[in-house]
Amino acid sequence: MKVDLEHLSRLANLELTEEERKILPGQMEKIIDWVGQLSSLATGEEEKYHQVDFSLRLEEDEVRPSLPQAEVLAMAPEKQGDFVKVPRVFREK
Amino acid sequence: MKYVELGLREAVDLVRNGQVKATEIVESYLNHIESADREIKAYLTLAADRALSRAREIDARKDKGRLAGAVVAIKDNIVTRGLRTTCGSRILENFVPPYDATVVERLEAEDAIIIGKTNMDEFAMGSSTENSAFFPTRNPWDLERVPGGSRGGSAAAVAGLEAMAALGSDTGGSVRQPAGFCGIVGLKPTYGRVSRYGLVAFASSLDQIGPLARSVEDCALITSVIAGFDRRDSTCADRPVPDYLDGLGNFQEKIKVGFLGEASLKGINPEVASSYRRVQELISGLGFEVVRMDFPSWEVALPCYYIIAPSEASSNLARYDGVRYGLRAGAAELADMYVRTRTQGFGSEVKRRILLGTFALSSGYYDACYARATRARQAITAELQAAFRRVDFILTPTTPEPAFKLGEKQDPIAMYLQDYFTVAASLAGVPGISIPCGLTGNGLPLGLQVLSEPFAENRLFKFAFLLENNIKFENNMYGINTRGRRKNEN
Repeated sequence: MKVDLEHLSRLANLELTEEERKILPGQMEKIIDWVGQLSSLATGEEEKYHQVDFSLRLEEDEVRPSLPQAEVLAMAPEKQGDFVKVPRVFREK
Repeated sequence: MKYVELGLREAVDLVRNGQVKATEIVESYLNHIESADREIKAYLTLAADRALSRAREIDARKDKGRLAGAVVAIKDNIVTRGLRTTCGSRILENFVPPYDATVVERLEAEDAIIIGKTNMDEFAMGSSTENSAFFPTRNPWDLERVPGGSRGGSAAAVAGLEAMAALGSDTGGSVRQPAGFCGIVGLKPTYGRVSRYGLVAFASSLDQIGPLARSVEDCALITSVIAGFDRRDSTCADRPVPDYLDGLGNFQEKIKVGFLGEASLKGINPEVASSYRRVQELISGLGFEVVRMDFPSWEVALPCYYIIAPSEASSNLARYDGVRYGLRAGAAELADMYVRTRTQGFGSEVKRRILLGTFALSSGYYDACYARATRARQAITAELQAAFRRVDFILTPTTPEPAFKLGEKQDPIAMYLQDYFTVAASLAGVPGISIPCGLTGNGLPLGLQVLSEPFAENRLFKFAFLLENNIKFENNMYGINTRGRRKNEN
């Protein structure tokens, strides 16, 4: 299988260095071919995401304390008043 | 050195009886860490003041918890309130969590003392701890070699007498493999046995927190404390937790033990294979029935894991965007800020796995990769379930080879093969424990993995305890046996 690294890195919000651009496609294609062994295994149809069964339970609708706002805000790289601040979202014309 | 040689159970008994002060124990650990950690480099953050004030508080109190005076290290992907938690990554280099993981709360509620946070492969991705963004940790048995991974720091700390026990997380083998490399005991509990609340997510359907300690008994005690229902983790099972110390040393059952056939041992290190054969003789000698088993689907367990884990990781790690916490790289616009932050913050193995996972989940490849892997996972699980209808336990080597040298594995696939024996249990959600089972000719420890049915940790501990006592792995690097006493004493 061929890997379109440009497309994948855009999807993953990553930028690659020159060196990564050189090494990664070969490495990833090798890993993906290796993973190709999977097709040799006869398997059922069902897709399941957990192997141990859980009975789903419902939570009471009750008010519980959350993390203190000040502590959570203190972790933010940049803030203004009671808000987390980020760079502008839209490009200027 | 005196107190650091004590086993956890023994130390706790002394503190609870008032014969030794928790403060003395903590001081003795801090002294030992100061010299030993210069070489081993197990710790990313040491919590000396926090540990000492905790110890003083415990000493002043009459009622003492089940883990009073236990000096425990925590893998750095388990959050600790007020104590830096990095996941071995630049992106969380200065992250100080505002809450404790459930397992940390439960340890501290029983008066365990957290001594520090241990080094790990970045976001737990690796098998050697060489992928830590900060520095590699070294194996206390041979400083040229890796301690295993991803929680190499935790294993090295316990083996190097820098902690009595440690908590880590196992996604594809990261508790069991480093335990094997470092000659200690490590348990990956059944998926759902221990709450994952406060464990930084890598692959949520596989991650499970487990203890590393110097003996099966110490592991059992810690598991009794950390296991059990937690409303804050919806995948945590609502089942009673037995006292896992109960009945240790009292194993009367007539059981059948599964061993891998020769076909599954092809290509593994000859010393690993011969130690595995010695264990088979021991099991027969104890009067248990040995059953040879083949697991054809295990052949694809690794490729299956290397689709599922990176897929889940690519989704879980999307949260590191520089907005609410962690690293933020400067940029004039939001979209650029995301890309720059992640590019600066993640190391190369993490990027590789995010890209692999993104590939496996991307349109056009999903069916060929992710969907197929989840079906293969069903087949692997079914095969293990069928095996447990025939035998009580399955024994395998923990790793295909003993600890390798730093820098030895440059090829990602060669590194991934380290998980050969451990991933099947992770994919199937069954519990597995690694116990030391011997030394190679040049003195490196070898691990034996014991697998059991889901939620059968009580039997697993009993059987592992019996094996531990019969294998008599006494000659660890400090000449201290698993009960914490010197070889030639008692």
